[in-house]
Amino acid sequence: MPDAIVLRGLTKTFGTTVAVRDFDLVVPQGALYGVIGPNGAGKTTTIRLILSILLPDRGELSVLGHKSAMDAKDRIGYLPEERGLYKRMRVGQFLAYMARLKGADGPDLRPRVRRWLERVDLGAVEHKRCEELSKGMQQKVQFLAAIVHRPDLLILDEPFSGFDPVNQRLLRELVDEEHRRGATILFSTHVMVHAEQLCDHVVMIHRGDKVLDDRLSDIRARYDPRNVLFEPLDPAADVGALARLPGVERVRRDGAAWDLRLASGAAAASVIQQAAAAIPPTRIELRRPTLEDVFISIVRAGSAEGDDATLRAAVRDTGAGTGEARS
Amino acid sequence: MRKILHVAQREFLATAGTKAFIFGILVTPLVIGVLILLVPRMSIQDPPAIAGSVAVIDPSGQVAAGLAAYLEPARVEERRREAYQRLQEAMPPALRSASGMAGAQAAGSLLGNVPRLEVVALEPGTSLEMAKKGLGTAAAATDGAGGDRLALVVVHADAVEKQRGADRFGAYDLFVRAKLDDRVIEEIDDGVRDAIVGARVSRAGLDRARIEDLTTVGRVQARTLTAGGEGRTNEVLNQFVPMALMGLLLMSVLMSGQYLLTTTVEEKSNRVVEVLLSAVSPMELMVGKILGQFAVGLLVLALYLGLGLIALLSFASLGLLDPALILFLLVFYLLAYFSVGAFMAAVGSAVNEMREAQGLMTPVMLIIMIPWFLWMPISRDPNSALAVVLSFVPPVSNFVIMLRLASSTPPPVWQTLLSVAAGAAGVFVSLWFAARVFRIGLLMYGKPPNLATLVRWARSG
Repeated sequence: MPDAIVLRGLTKTFGTTVAVRDFDLVVPQGALYGVIGPNGAGKTTTIRLILSILLPDRGELSVLGHKSAMDAKDRIGYLPEERGLYKRMRVGQFLAYMARLKGADGPDLRPRVRRWLERVDLGAVEHKRCEELSKGMQQKVQFLAAIVHRPDLLILDEPFSGFDPVNQRLLRELVDEEHRRGATILFSTHVMVHAEQLCDHVVMIHRGDKVLDDRLSDIRARYDPRNVLFEPLDPAADVGALARLPGVERVRRDGAAWDLRLASGAAAASVIQQAAAAIPPTRIELRRPTLEDVFISIVRAGSAEGDDATLRAAVRDTGAGTGEARS
Repeated sequence: MRKILHVAQREFLATAGTKAFIFGILVTPLVIGVLILLVPRMSIQDPPAIAGSVAVIDPSGQVAAGLAAYLEPARVEERRREAYQRLQEAMPPALRSASGMAGAQAAGSLLGNVPRLEVVALEPGTSLEMAKKGLGTAAAATDGAGGDRLALVVVHADAVEKQRGADRFGAYDLFVRAKLDDRVIEEIDDGVRDAIVGARVSRAGLDRARIEDLTTVGRVQARTLTAGGEGRTNEVLNQFVPMALMGLLLMSVLMSGQYLLTTTVEEKSNRVVEVLLSAVSPMELMVGKILGQFAVGLLVLALYLGLGLIALLSFASLGLLDPALILFLLVFYLLAYFSVGAFMAAVGSAVNEMREAQGLMTPVMLIIMIPWFLWMPISRDPNSALAVVLSFVPPVSNFVIMLRLASSTPPPVWQTLLSVAAGAAGVFVSLWFAARVFRIGLLMYGKPPNLATLVRWARSG
């Protein structure tokens, strides 16, 4: 079984800006890959290169066994970050049109469109014009347009941007269903939490370079947890004792709780035991590193740019979506 | 190919299936038709008949009587009836019957408001200033009939009899009240001339009736000799057909080109274009859109051509339209549309909104309108150097050659063929340009490009 996507040394520049540099990537069939990185990292350019919407300056690629996605367009579903609808077209017509462009036609097309609309609670709007829909409804329709023809490869560029939490969950379910059906899925997001919730393999891009390409579980194992979260039962308790525990390097306030950084070589289990004995906790846990932490540590190791707060803000869901256009 | 047809089908339905289109295409000619029927009727609300007096200062004493006779209502009516008769004869028979209803009413209006003018001869010694003051005021004391004094005619002393040693006769002055119907002024003016000529003729001891008899020759209509026999030449329709054909060509090309521009800009500003590009290549999208709007233009062309043919048929003048012209119309529509349309698609792909497109379109529009501005000189002289040269410069060539083909002296065959070749070359260049700009432009947002940018894209693409 050939890999769904193979990129070798892909490079794309716009003027003097290098958007993607010597990019290698192999996505096996049936995998669920997340491409993460802050805005402007090169995610959209990578995706457009995969889809042959842009042509690379250098490098080779293969998509579903073809030299160009052009030859496999009908088997690919794509939800661009900049997505739109024909405002005057009716919802059912629009989805049927998109399916036909993807080579899915026949007498069962309209019933299939109807089933999909019902699946996302939009059965009532099949005959409405797209412009009459709310923004959230439009986004669901846009997502359906990407999957209505049952693609073998589904590429989603910032699929969660602009969705409210309820629809984000619905979207995760739908992506999961497509994955179980056997589709290969590659999606990009600047919100690390979304990648953590959904994918089993993460590719991290920073300033056009691939800085991480690994299974989520391996990443977690590699980035050994070195912090313990401790919340005392009595908020007014004197936590000075925690700092004096053997194996604790420093103690820092984190909201209502305290963050205990372990000294190198210290065993987490013994620190947890001693801390609980010193002050009765309401919560005590070993902090697993989030993708955000991983990202920060990678960027930190590479150079001394920006402060942690700015970097963290760039990879969190601010709720505002990502409005700006990038090419 | 299947995808191109899907795109074309959507494009066609999204344009021709809208209320705005159906209204614009079907209702506009209907409104024009109704207006043609209604306007003459509306202008025939009987205006009040004009009544008043015309004062004459006449040293010869012979002109006033002649003018009075000329302005008698019965004679005015008779002259108008004759004029209308002549007008009717000049019209093609079909138009005559078509305008029958309105025509009869027009005649009625011509005859209905015959002015009632009384001629008042003032004393030869009357001061000009005094006489002028009487104008426009309610009937001066010297006037017998009711109504205002409308005009003052001052006949020069030497109008009827030449002064000794002079080369010419004298004339007259005419003063009129403000806001007097120009038809009445004309009537008075003609009357004074007629009366002066009459006075001169009788002063010379000649018989006026005899002179008129000798100087009148009836007018005839030229008849066209064709293989099919003899027909009446109809200058009106002869000029109308070429203009209508070119206008039709221009209209359908511009209309569908404009639609193409609008839908492309819309797809881009809607951000639907990237979704489309995941399904079809930029070339497939562009060709599909161009074909879809081609069909829209063809529909418009067919509708109006059909209306025109029905009109000609009802005027029994179908013979005026050579069937080959319809074939040429289709050929040149194809060439003109593809060269103009492809460019429109390129512009649409390059800009972010319609407003930015206007700047790029203006020079193109001006070029396309050239044949419209030069319609008169080209149709007058279809084989002039200007007309011949323009026949080989695409995209203008397609419109100019259409005008020439429909004219009374069509161009030689080689020129037609060369024009088709030039048009085809224009289509090729335009499609090449559009394909390159389209691919780059579709995903470009931000600063609106100018023509130089488009050319740079085309060369680098």
